[in-house]
Amino acid sequence: MVIVYLLVAIGVLVCALQAIRTSRLLMAALWLAGCSALVALMMYLLGAPQVAVIELSVGAGLVTVLFVFAINIAGEEVMDLRSLLPRPLAVVAVVAVLALLGWIMVPVFNLKPPEIQSGRFFTAIWEERAVDMLLQIVIIFAGVLAMLGLLAEGAPPHTPHEE
Amino acid sequence: MQWSFPMIVIVVVLGLLGIGFYGLLIVRNLIKVVVALQVLAKGAMLALVLAGELAGQIYIGDSMAITLIVADTIVAVIGLALAVQVRRHIGSLDIGHLSKLRR
Amino acid sequence: MIETLILLTIALPWLGALVVWRVGDDRPTVQNAVAVGFALASGVAALGMLPLAKPGTALSFAVGGAFGDFTFVADGLGVFLAVVATVVGSLAVIFSVDYMRGEAQLGRYYALVLFFIGAMAGLVLSSNLLLVFVFWEITALCSYALISFNNDDPKAVAGGIKALIMTQLGGIGLLAGALLVYAHTGSYDINVFMQQAHTLPAALLTVMAFGFLIAAAAKSAQFPFQTWLPDAMEAPTPISALIHAATMVNAGVYLLARFYPAFEAVPGWRTAVVVVGLLSAFLSAIMALVATDLKRVLAYSTVSQLGYMVYAIGAGGVFASQFHLLSHSVFKALLFLGAGAVIHAAGTRDMRQMGALGKHMPFVRNVFIIGALALAGIPILNGFWSKELVLEAGLAHGPLWAYLVMLIGAGLTACYTLRCVWMVFFGAPATHHHVHDAGKAMRIALAPLAFGVLTTWLLAGAFGHLLAETLPFHEMEAETTLSVIEEVVTAPATLVALAVVGLGLLAWWQRGVLKGLLYALRAVARLAEDSFGFEAVNRGVVRWTQSVAEALRPTQTGILSWNVLGILAALIVVALILVLGA
Repeated sequence: MVIVYLLVAIGVLVCALQAIRTSRLLMAALWLAGCSALVALMMYLLGAPQVAVIELSVGAGLVTVLFVFAINIAGEEVMDLRSLLPRPLAVVAVVAVLALLGWIMVPVFNLKPPEIQSGRFFTAIWEERAVDMLLQIVIIFAGVLAMLGLLAEGAPPHTPHEE
Repeated sequence: MQWSFPMIVIVVVLGLLGIGFYGLLIVRNLIKVVVALQVLAKGAMLALVLAGELAGQIYIGDSMAITLIVADTIVAVIGLALAVQVRRHIGSLDIGHLSKLRR
Repeated sequence: MIETLILLTIALPWLGALVVWRVGDDRPTVQNAVAVGFALASGVAALGMLPLAKPGTALSFAVGGAFGDFTFVADGLGVFLAVVATVVGSLAVIFSVDYMRGEAQLGRYYALVLFFIGAMAGLVLSSNLLLVFVFWEITALCSYALISFNNDDPKAVAGGIKALIMTQLGGIGLLAGALLVYAHTGSYDINVFMQQAHTLPAALLTVMAFGFLIAAAAKSAQFPFQTWLPDAMEAPTPISALIHAATMVNAGVYLLARFYPAFEAVPGWRTAVVVVGLLSAFLSAIMALVATDLKRVLAYSTVSQLGYMVYAIGAGGVFASQFHLLSHSVFKALLFLGAGAVIHAAGTRDMRQMGALGKHMPFVRNVFIIGALALAGIPILNGFWSKELVLEAGLAHGPLWAYLVMLIGAGLTACYTLRCVWMVFFGAPATHHHVHDAGKAMRIALAPLAFGVLTTWLLAGAFGHLLAETLPFHEMEAETTLSVIEEVVTAPATLVALAVVGLGLLAWWQRGVLKGLLYALRAVARLAEDSFGFEAVNRGVVRWTQSVAEALRPTQTGILSWNVLGILAALIVVALILVLGA
């Protein structure tokens, strides 16, 4: 069992790293899709199939389509690869954050898994987290408006046959 | 200490957070910024599911993870929409060219 | 039933705002129709709540543990102010159809106006303090955006920013009060707080009481924050009517009235409220006397009349203050919309360039004079009854010196009102070429207001009944209209007040005779033109805020990588605190 976890973990991290490192946008989107799918698999292994299914369809599916769509409109662009921030500074900040977060999470290892509380997924999501649901509706509404904005100006200025 | 599954997941969570943060700090392409945000959010998502598992409150963890997926997807949509519009109006996706603030 | 009406009153204007915005600026007639339709619908919904008003929580949304339930009330105070906001607001919208004809960006205008009206209705109908704060801030945002509506005019932008900064100061007071309530009662619900108010520690109650007083003073443009309101005059005139009569400034008086039972016993609080009201009423009456800008005169008179309401609350006359609020919102809306018609026709706001306009616009002249007489406190118009009630409450329960100052203020009010009417509609004509009477939509908005000025005082009994029945904490007695009338007519104070009002009128009439006195008082007049130095103080606050913001500018590079680094730094700090704390 642990070996499966290990393999998936390595896969997730490699995909994520590649998504950041690659210079081609389309490749980044595909690596991200892979990362998302593996995260969904890991959720399934952890015992959260509902979340895994949603993550697989939305995270790996819909978002990837959106990425490809957006990259298609905006186009690849050659740009200066130098960071705007000194790289050592970035590394130091990230390492500091990770060290502190890791330190906070250490007690988790000594935690004995408690009794699983009874509860239903739908009770949790509809009744106990009603604000979240409300805000989700608002957020989805905002997303729809943003899509309208994305499509508002019709065809992109750089169509293939122009080039 | 045993090499148990929560530990592996925690390493993945920390790894995803680290990669996401690092990406946000160094990338210059707006679309790559959205990619980095996605990686970051996946780390948080996994952490929520794991926390629900370890605290015995699976359903709360799961429902919050779903909230996060929704929010994250909309962030991606809006980020990409912004990127496309920026590309149309400024002609570049480089965040170094974006700032018009007086300095 | 009442639950639906509460939601409709708040949601209809907001929905209207979205629809107006989606309609687009290239179809102004549709925009007019949509805006008027939604505003009127919400006004009808608010009126429908009147017979159904009841004490306690009327509607509650469970939203989990973090914020407490989102609760709404439909008691007399809330419903009454919602009616004022939506009905007077929709009349302002109708007026705008004529006033804003041909203006650019009508969509932005209507959307903000409707958003404003809905937020005000939400503010008075919600009983969750956090929600109250949110609505409070939305009204501040809308007023800022509407005052600066002509955003290519630097004066308008400056006035908007001033209003925003000043009312934000008040917002901090409200937020602090709300958080303290939550910390000690474990709930944001106003009714829970009212029940437990006497069990809270005295020091805490004092902090809250004065926090809310600051919030109310800033919102209602009371001393020492009074200067943002006159500067807000750069807005289109229907907006001024909206801010002055229907929405914004009523919020502060509402807050004081709502919490009066809880803070009544706080030592010094009532005196402080009386003093704030008194200084606002008196100083702005003097400033109104020397102002030459028509809208400024009206703005100062608003500050002054709000001062009367605040004074009444300090003296314990919650009913009198709310009744005066009702009268004031009707006659002030009438005056502002009338002034809008005058300005629209004459093309200037300077009263010295008006004069003898009455001949050209008889309809506007007639309704304006009705409103002005109500403002001056002439029987039998609504302003007379409510002002008498305020003064009587002050005489019965407040300090005598405050009563005397307010009495003089009433005389000054009569004097500046007459001066204003004279300079605009009578006197020597100045040059104007194409003055025309009000348009159709303007008349539709003005006529019901003029009718209201003549009749709303008849509602005194019903209004008192409504408040007494539905406000369990306020300990009010319901009286019939007849007994209110009898009380006012038979009280000797009424005669005194009327005599002072008459004196004020006489003072303007005989201004030639009083020339020597005026000459002696010219230093005061000059001070008044300069707002007694508070203008400088308020300007200083605004400038200080802006220079701090300017000094912080280098921290905002606008480059994403640095912003993310800032977020990470904050995360590191939080994590460090957690690690060290654990």
